Amino acid sequence: MSGTPVRNHIRRLRFEQGEMTQEALAQACGVTRQTIIALEAGRYAPSLELAFRIAHAFGVGIEVVFQWEKP
Amino acid sequence: MLLRQWRITGLLAMAGLALWLLFAGPSKLLGIDAGQAGMVLLITAAWGALYVIHRLPRGELEKAASPGEWKALIGTAFMLAVIAYFLSKVHVFQDGAIWNNPGARAVGRNLAMLLSAWVVLSGVIASRWKGAVEEDERDREIASRASGWGRGALVFCIIGIAVMLGFSSPEKLQWATPLMIANLLIFALMWGCLAEYAASVVYYRRDRQV
Repeated sequence: MSGTPVRNHIRRLRFEQGEMTQEALAQACGVTRQTIIALEAGRYAPSLELAFRIAHAFGVGIEVVFQWEKP
Repeated sequence: MLLRQWRITGLLAMAGLALWLLFAGPSKLLGIDAGQAGMVLLITAAWGALYVIHRLPRGELEKAASPGEWKALIGTAFMLAVIAYFLSKVHVFQDGAIWNNPGARAVGRNLAMLLSAWVVLSGVIASRWKGAVEEDERDREIASRASGWGRGALVFCIIGIAVMLGFSSPEKLQWATPLMIANLLIFALMWGCLAEYAASVVYYRRDRQV
């Protein structure tokens, strides 16, 4: 869980969505706020289902939120 | 805010004094049984902690840690206290069967009280998250990784006990009464639990580092 090749733009997308709070995103996705913090810090790679939920919360495609970087 | 900090400092000081009386203090202090005084102080500190947690707004609890992390922190603290108390009093289990051994019964009673305080404190904390997400996929992943550490610690401890009992001469094992061996097995279980909770805390902390 220490560092992951899956990069994400959650923080940028939150601000583009009218400064959506971590708590609001966590509630929309059914996870704890600490999981959003871990995702934004790049310490946790989400399951495919959670990745889709996050993308759905922002109303964008999954590839807009997550990118895989070859290690 | 300042008052709350003072309350928490006071509770920690009370819990520290209680643990000292339980583990390392004299058997009698001003004519009072130090073990019983320590247990009363510890229970008072636990009730005080319940009150402070009950009054704390949920947002502040959430800001500090997720429900899973709180559970792991409380589990680690209580397992540490239980194991320290158990090790400091382990000699009482050499004195014969439990029904003829008031010392062992007193230790068992105190351990049961500590475990009850743990269950109540965990219950109160869990009640603060009613209606909110208490566990998600990251918590389950951490629990799965931590259980590996717990299982490893348990196996390591059981093998250690087996090797000690199997390879020591009977003269060196006079202390190993059936009650003592039974308690060593209980210790192995507690050690496994401690390793699991401590590993969870480490995984949660690592996730926070940017």
